Parts: sequence; C-alpha cells; structure tokens
Amino acid sequence: MDFMLKLTLYVYCAAIVAYIVREVWRAKSMRWVAFGVLSSGFILNTILVLTRWSEAHHAPMSDKFESFVFFAWSIALVYLIFELVTIFIVKVHESRIGIIGALQCVLVAWMICSALQADSTIKELPPALQSNWLVTHVICYFLSYSALSMSFSAAIVYLIHRWIFSGKQKVAEVVESGIQLKKDYSFDKLAYIAVSIGFPFLTIGLITGSIWAKGAWGTYWGWDPKEIWSLISWLVYLTYMHLPLMLPKTNIKKSFRPILLSIILLIAFPIVLFTFMGLHKLPTSADSDHIYAE
Amino acid sequence: MSKAAIPQVKKVKNNSKTWEILCSVRLAVIIIVIMAVSCVLGTVILQQKSPEEYAARYGAGLAKFFAAIQFTDIFHSYWFSFLLVLLCVNLGCCTVKRWRNKVLMIGFLVTHISIILILIGCVVDLLTGVKGGVNIYEGKSVDYYLTRPDYKKNPLGFQVFCDDFLIEKHPPKYKLIAYVKDKDKQKAVPAKVGKRNSVSGTNYAVTVKDFIEDAEIQQEPINVSDVPNNPALYIQLSEKGNVTAEGWLLAKDRNWYSDTQRDLKIDYVWADNAEKHEKLANAAGKSTKPKLDITIEGKNIVKSVPVEKGKKFSIDGTDFIIEIKNFALDYSKRLVPLSEQEPNNPAVMVEISGPQGKDSRWSFSKYPDYQDKAHQVIYKDVKLLCSVPENFSDAKHRVRIVQNKSGKKTISYIKNEEVISINDWELNKSYNVADSELEIRVIKYFPSHGLKKSVVKRVGGHEGHNHGPGEHAGNPAVLIEMEGPRGKVAEWVFAHTPPHWYPDNNFAVLYEKSGMEIKDYKSILRVVENGKTMVTKTIEVNNALKYKGFVFYQSSYDPEGERYTGLQVTKNPGLLVVYTGFIMLCIGIVFIFYVKPFLRRKLKKGKKIEEYYSEEEMLAEHIE
Repeated sequence: MDFMLKLTLYVYCAAIVAYIVREVWRAKSMRWVAFGVLSSGFILNTILVLTRWSEAHHAPMSDKFESFVFFAWSIALVYLIFELVTIFIVKVHESRIGIIGALQCVLVAWMICSALQADSTIKELPPALQSNWLVTHVICYFLSYSALSMSFSAAIVYLIHRWIFSGKQKVAEVVESGIQLKKDYSFDKLAYIAVSIGFPFLTIGLITGSIWAKGAWGTYWGWDPKEIWSLISWLVYLTYMHLPLMLPKTNIKKSFRPILLSIILLIAFPIVLFTFMGLHKLPTSADSDHIYAE
Repeated sequence: MSKAAIPQVKKVKNNSKTWEILCSVRLAVIIIVIMAVSCVLGTVILQQKSPEEYAARYGAGLAKFFAAIQFTDIFHSYWFSFLLVLLCVNLGCCTVKRWRNKVLMIGFLVTHISIILILIGCVVDLLTGVKGGVNIYEGKSVDYYLTRPDYKKNPLGFQVFCDDFLIEKHPPKYKLIAYVKDKDKQKAVPAKVGKRNSVSGTNYAVTVKDFIEDAEIQQEPINVSDVPNNPALYIQLSEKGNVTAEGWLLAKDRNWYSDTQRDLKIDYVWADNAEKHEKLANAAGKSTKPKLDITIEGKNIVKSVPVEKGKKFSIDGTDFIIEIKNFALDYSKRLVPLSEQEPNNPAVMVEISGPQGKDSRWSFSKYPDYQDKAHQVIYKDVKLLCSVPENFSDAKHRVRIVQNKSGKKTISYIKNEEVISINDWELNKSYNVADSELEIRVIKYFPSHGLKKSVVKRVGGHEGHNHGPGEHAGNPAVLIEMEGPRGKVAEWVFAHTPPHWYPDNNFAVLYEKSGMEIKDYKSILRVVENGKTMVTKTIEVNNALKYKGFVFYQSSYDPEGERYTGLQVTKNPGLLVVYTGFIMLCIGIVFIFYVKPFLRRKLKKGKKIEEYYSEEEMLAEHIE
C-alpha cells in the first residue's frame, strides 16, 4: 500500500512536469503525453481506492487518509474528463489549459503527500457514519471540490495573465491574435465553467449532509462548525454567481470586473479547503462531533 | 400565485424605490456577504457560553461588547433572524419581478422559491417544533421528555419503554506504533507479517516477523546446567496407585507442599555439607513455631514469645499479663482446624490483662498496624507483631527430602514431630509414607532449574467467560524485529504492555488497540398508549422511531455501563416544507447548470443570441 502510494505520487509529479513541458512546447503530441501520464497516475489512484475499499469493507472516505486519497482521485478524474471534453466536444486543440493541468497535478500530488503522512490504519466506522448517505454525500462534495479547485487554478492563471499583459505594448499583440484568443477559452470564462460544474454538486452535498444529519442526530441544521463552514463556502460561491448581475450597476470599471471575480475565487477555494481539513483549528470545534479525529 | 396577478403587482409597484431595492441583486449580495461573515464570526467566537467564560477569554470590555451586539449567540440573535427575513423578502420580490413563463426560467424560479420554502420550514420548526431529549433506564419507561437547552419537563401523551439497550462492538484491532525519541517522530505500522517499515528521517526500522491472535507465554521448566545453582525436584504423590498431586519443589524458592486433607507436608531442603545434611534430616521434627513480638512503647521493653494456644506470659517491669487465646493461619478460615488452613493471612488473638481491665484483640502478621475501628483498644502502648515462619506446619505427617553437594540424598518421615525413618532415595522409586496408603516418588531432578519462556497460541481456557459473539477479547502478540544503529533485536510484544525499547533507549515500539470499537448502539423501544402496545422498534444510530409526530433518535448512552439509553426527541412540523425545498433546490440547480445550457443550444438554432438571452443572463453566464 505504501509503495503503491509512493508510486502514485511519483507518477503525479511526472504529470506536473509533463504539463509544464506541454505548456512551454506546444506540440500536439506533447498534449497526449501529458494526458497519458496523468491518466496512468489516475489508474494507480483508482487501484488504491479500490483496494482500500475491499480491505476496509466500507467506502474509503471516512478518515483523513482515505479522504486525501479519494480527493486526489476525484481531482484527477474531473480534470481528465474536462480535458477530454475540450478535445472531443469543444474541439479546442490549441488551448492553453495545460497550465491548469499542471496546477491540478500539484494539488493532486499535495493530497497524496498528505495521505502519506496520515495514519493509514483501517478504522471501523463510528455508528453515525454507518449510513448509505456517506457515499452520496462525500462523492458529491469531492466532485464539487475538484471542479472548484479547477476554478481556483483558472483564476490564478487569469490574474497572472492580466498582470503580465497589463503593459500598453501588449495591446497591439492581443488585437493581432484576436482570432487565437476567441478559439481559446479565456481563463475567467473557464473559471466560471468550472464553478458552474462544481456548484450544483456543492449544493447537493450540503443538502444530503443535512438530510443525513436529520437521520442520525435528529436535526437537519445544528450550527455545527462543519455545517457552518460548508454554508460559508456555499455562500461565497453564491456571491460569485450573483456578482456579475450586480456589477454593471456599480461604478466598477468593466475591465476590472473579471479581476474582482477571480479574486473571489481565490478566496473561495481556501475556504473550501479549510472546511475540508482545517476545522480542528477553530476554538469552537471542541464541541463538534463532525470533525476528523486528529 | 395566478399568472394574471403578477403583471398587476408589477405595474403598481414598478416605480417604487423601496420595491426596486427589495428586488435588487445588490441587496441579495450584501445579505449573502454579511451572512458569510457572521458565520465566520460564529465559529471563531465561542457560542452560548457563560458570561464569565467570555470575560476570561476576551477581557471584560470586549465580552460586554459581544453580549451587547449578540455576538455570543449569533445564530439565534435578532439581527441574524432579521437578515434571514430580509433575505426571504428579497428572494420573494425578485422572484415575482423576474417571473416569466418560459422553460428556461424554471431553474431560476425553482431555486429561489425552494430557498424561501426552506427558510419558512425552519421558522415553522422553530416556533412549533420540539427539540429535546430523555434518558430511559433499561426495563423502565417515561411519559415525558426534557426540552433543550433549558431541561423543562414536557408530557409526551404516551409511554415509551426501553426493553433493552445494547452496545455492539467490533472485535478490537491493534496497531504498532514506532516512536523515535530524539526526533519525536511517530509512525503507525500495520501489524502485517513480513513488511519492513522504516521510520522516515531516521535509521530505525521495524519488521513484523510473526503474529499470534491470541497468545500466552508458556513457561517450560528446563535444566540450565549441572551445577546445583537452583536444585529442583519433580515430585509425584499417589494414593493406591492414583496420582493425587505432582509438581516442582525448588529448594531455594517454593520448597514445600502441604496437603491439608491428608494432614501432610512435604518439604525439600538443600544442605551445603554432610554435617548440615544430617542436622536438617533429623531436626525436621522440631518445626519452628510462630512467634509473637510484644513491644511496650515508651518503656523500651521488647519480648518475643512462641505462639501456643492457651499460654500466658507476664511482662517484666509492667503489670500486663498476656494470654494467647487463638491462632489462625488464615483469618478468614479461623473456624476450621488449623491443619486445614493455608498460611494466607496469619493472625493471633491475644488477651491483655492489666490495671484497666482486659483488652483482647486480633493481631495480623501482614497488617501489624491494623486497628479494628469498632473495637475499643485500651492499651494502645502495647504493640503486637506476630510472625509465622514460612516452613511452619501443624501437619501430623511430614516428609522432608534433603540433598547435598556430595550427592547424598535422604528422605525423612516424621510423625507427630518425631522422626520415624530416614532413607536414601533414588529417582523414580516409590517410597511409602508410613502408616498411610500414600506413596511419594521423585520423578525428575534438575540441579539448576530454569524456565524457558515461549509465546504460543492460547488453546481453550475460555469457557465460562461471559461475553457475546464477536466480543471475545484475545490477547494478541507480535514478534517484531527492531533495527537501528546497534543491529537487529527481535522480541515478542504483547498488546497492552508498556512500550518496548531498543537497546539505545531512543526507539520504542508500542502495540495497542486502534480505532473505533463500538459498532452500534441499539435500544428496543416500546410505545404504550392507554395500556396498549402501539409500536415496538429496535432503534439505532441512523434509524429512529416515529410515533405521533415525535421522532426518537438514539443519541447517547450511560458511559458507565449499559444501564440507560439516551434518546433525542424531536418534532418537526415543518419538515415536509423543508424537504420539499431541499428537493426543489437540487432539481433547480441541476436544471440551471446542466440542463439549461443544452436546452438553450437546441432552442437557439438559427436564431440570434440576443433573442434568446436576456441582458441579465448574458452577464451572469459570461456571454459576449
């Protein structure tokens, strides 16, 4: 298990390099190399998840170790699907999303790294987690987190692009390569697409969690820190969804609006990560029975 | 809401500024942001604690400020409720304003209405619902519950019996924890045979070599050498050919055996030379008697007397006369004959006669300072200490086996403290204990007796243990090999024992239970109304009992056993509304983000974008 985990980590690290090479050296063949490396990492990750499932006799999403491995798996899955969609359905071959692939791979590698440091012994499920809702609830959340992580990467890339091309001399160039830009998805649009994929899952995850809590503890909303923070992350993305409607009625410059939205995404994903694994740091978490045991 | 009514509403309020604000996205965004920020505050600031706790944590001034603006209970504060109401109104207004009978609008309408429904349902629950709890002892019943958080008694209108409460457990799991002291590094190692686990960042490693699920240490007697360091005999005692007792006697350790039923004592002594041998073999008859030390405090008088029932002693220099009234080898069995008592708790009863009358008391050899509180002690300055020599015996028949370095070995038979016979003995030869049908035989002789310890699988020996299936607690052990700068060390480690340290005292391995053991809590509940049993259900976590709007959840238990079950009692009249909202929200949001884009592409064919997108939609969905 340990060896497999390390191997997966190395393959994902190789995928980071592959995607960076692909981004710098834009050959079509390179695109498939990068895709292949990440896919093989994903296959190894799938084997990890499945072996854990059969060994533990419960869905492998209950403790820290299992969550990290599963989160890595779902990030890779969502990105691979996304890339396949861009190739075969949207048909943007020359797109620059390779850099997003690299960032996603960094996140995946980080998750596997955290899993390596977590306690990997198989634990029995506490009574409250012995429910069919576990699978639905957790899969919804991890799919949504994966999509949202992509919006985070896209927002970073967008902001860096804006910062680089903010010089006047670049304007002419941008106009010149206008056709190119139209073919490519600009990164703020990409971030929006990622959020629109992830946000419904975030909502469904929140609702299934609430229904599950009703079944297990008798209250669908108990102002538990985990519940509050999942609400906060939902509210932040809700703000992101509603801001474009509000911004035209304000004095904010049109060119600044995507920057503001990207900044919100930049804040939102760390909140999601904090909800996922940082809650034990809160002073109020001592009373909660919802947080991964440290 | 009828379709005709909407345009009317719109017309009437179209120009009102308040209406515009109430419908605006700007208000929605502001409310959402304020809610998000207050949620953050609600988890950073401790909630629903006592004023003293806030004062201690944040200082008096800040605590007062928090209490004034209700930061101490944000989620139940007036301003948070106002925020939710405002959100509701805003949602309602904007839904009405943007209502259009178009397929593509379904998502917008459904999601916004669903959130209103959820909020309404919550308010209904808050106003008319019940949230409480009750503990029911096994076999008992309740007809009330306690509200939370103020613990007021409220009637249920029926009785709930708890017929049984069970805690189901998983068989325990164990893990190895490797610990490196100077780096303060811990690593959990799965107890799987054959894998070498190195502790990263250090040069230590641990390998599990063997594993026994239910192990015990077996001690096998062995002869270490031919030098008589620890001589031992394996003795067999038989009566009419049937073996009645057998076992090891160690000259320097456990060197006697007493058979109270047959009034017999066997001992085994080792003599250093022939002279002593003779003495020991003959002197066996005069066994050392127990003695009683009498100390009179303050007078520096110490006297030692043999313990013999009925004897009287006068103490020189005082007026005390001390009489030994009774003697027991085992105080708790003091009423049975002395010969049938084992020396477990020897005690002597003494009567002290002096100027202030008689004082009688028991004196225990193991607890010399024990004073019976119910008993009045007159002569507190008289201290008694009785001591019983280890080889003391009151037995009528005695057998003494003596051996010395030169190889001489004798067996003496003593009856009533008189030596009857002294014979030389040989291995595997039976000797009669005269006057009885008992035979004694020495089976083995180990000059240097030792024990070989080995860890083996435990077999049997578990009948009669009172535990349910799956609750059998074995005692697992692992054979681990520890690697480090001083090479490899292999050792058996049992669960629940102190950590095992590597020779350099910097690396340790601990074998202990891991993870959650409790599988489930279950209560068998029975609802009785007007003397009739209405429902019986076994509830567990994630499976509640519903009756007349009340729902009983398994929520806690008696931490000191399984005497009572803790139930959460709720009544949620608004649950249906909330759940409708939940389902609508799910459907609506999936429609907006997954169905609508494809639906639009289908409808869009051959038409200009502007015809199918409202201005707002184009903004919202980044369409240019």
